[in-house]
Amino acid sequence: MLIRTFSSECIKLRHSYIWIVLSVLPIFSVLIGCANYVFNRGILQNEWYSLWTQVGLFYGEFFFPVLIGICCAFLCRFEHINQNWNSILTAPVPIRDVFLAKLMMVGLLSAVTQAFFLSLYFIAGKWVGLISPFPSETLGWIFRGWVASLAIGGVQLWLSMRIRSFAVPVGVSICATLIGLGLYVNHLGMFYPYSLLTIGMGVLSQDSLAMMEHVLFYGMSGLFIILFCISGIRRLKKTDIVA
Amino acid sequence: MGYAALEFYKIRHKKIFLMIVFLLCIELFWAFMSGSISLSRDPDAVSWEVIITIIAQMNGLFLPILTAVIVSRICDMEHKGNTWKMLMAASVKREQIYAAKYICACSLILFVIVLQLVAIVVFCQSKSLTSPIPWELLVQTAMGTLVTSMAVIALQQWISLAVPNQAFALCLGMLGGFIGITASLFPGMVRHFFIWSYYNELSPIVMKYINSSVVYVTQGLSFPFVGGLLLFSVLLYAVGNFYICRKEV
Repeated sequence: MLIRTFSSECIKLRHSYIWIVLSVLPIFSVLIGCANYVFNRGILQNEWYSLWTQVGLFYGEFFFPVLIGICCAFLCRFEHINQNWNSILTAPVPIRDVFLAKLMMVGLLSAVTQAFFLSLYFIAGKWVGLISPFPSETLGWIFRGWVASLAIGGVQLWLSMRIRSFAVPVGVSICATLIGLGLYVNHLGMFYPYSLLTIGMGVLSQDSLAMMEHVLFYGMSGLFIILFCISGIRRLKKTDIVA
Repeated sequence: MGYAALEFYKIRHKKIFLMIVFLLCIELFWAFMSGSISLSRDPDAVSWEVIITIIAQMNGLFLPILTAVIVSRICDMEHKGNTWKMLMAASVKREQIYAAKYICACSLILFVIVLQLVAIVVFCQSKSLTSPIPWELLVQTAMGTLVTSMAVIALQQWISLAVPNQAFALCLGMLGGFIGITASLFPGMVRHFFIWSYYNELSPIVMKYINSSVVYVTQGLSFPFVGGLLLFSVLLYAVGNFYICRKEV
């Protein structure tokens, strides 16, 4: 049933043009980051790693969490309009699957965005003439970024289900991202989903994570995903829907 | 004005003020933290000019996003509630609704700017800055921010009303914030084409690097830029108004 619910989410997104939003922001990040790298090549001498700091900074720190917020608000918008919550909750579908299908869709969209960003990064590196081999760590950053995006997706889905407005959950994601930056600076990033993205994608520090940090990263990401899934599903089951 | 009052009536339970205060608190916290760090490093180097410059730079990031959220909320209620046909059936012209929404959004941004000024004065007084309050600089900062916001609101309102999917309007707001904060990296000729760069461009104080040290130079408000931006705002408003008023509901 989960697969069928997921495919219904795919159908809902078919003519939505959300892909324009998902592609514009990474393109912009890479363009500006690339230009900054080219203009400051004298200081940025660590080839692929330096380019990553430039293109990844705005993408990982601001755009990607907000993109996830936009995706979640968009997925819930379908249900908030035309009393669709009533329809979906009276359909013969387990409520758990309704939430999980939406989270899976967020995961798919963020995976596509990450893959697109990775290919843009590779093209940008070749375009600016980097000759050293492509760093294998990049795949780890992209994967960890995706895992952290699921944790953020859980929080944002929970918020977007509660708040009927489209803009407010997105606004909250912007605020939460900025708070996350402060927590990261104060070495508390592991305990906050929005900072996990900064840590996972290595946008501010490319030092590889120690074994314990890896365990903590995946453990905390998993914890946030489970926590917000339970909370979201419980809310759908127990609370009256305002349609 | 009556229609603008009705717009405020429609948003009275939407907690827009809460959202504004929340985002503004984060911006001011960030800006004042930065000011406090500068103050702890060199107490003599921090002045009103430093705080005003930091706020102008932060506005480049935050105000396009906040504007996108505010305008989206004001416009989205008509899309979501399917109220366009009802509004058209009432004895009110579309131009009046468009103007009312614009006035409502501008008033909310003016409220944000006033809150910012109050916060700057309170912060600087609490840090016991010796120089008197530079009212002229503060008013010029507020004017520059308001004029830039008027152009940004005109653009956001057009997009938010034209495209029911608010993801595009918010994406534009994000891009605006990104351009606003990075505009100082662009060459002068390029950045003048982006309206979001004027949050920093119209600041009466300019930050310059002289012999690897930072110097704050008071240049005042650039009236040719203010005039040009006001004209562009009118153009954006007129084009948006023309498009929305002739669009099939």
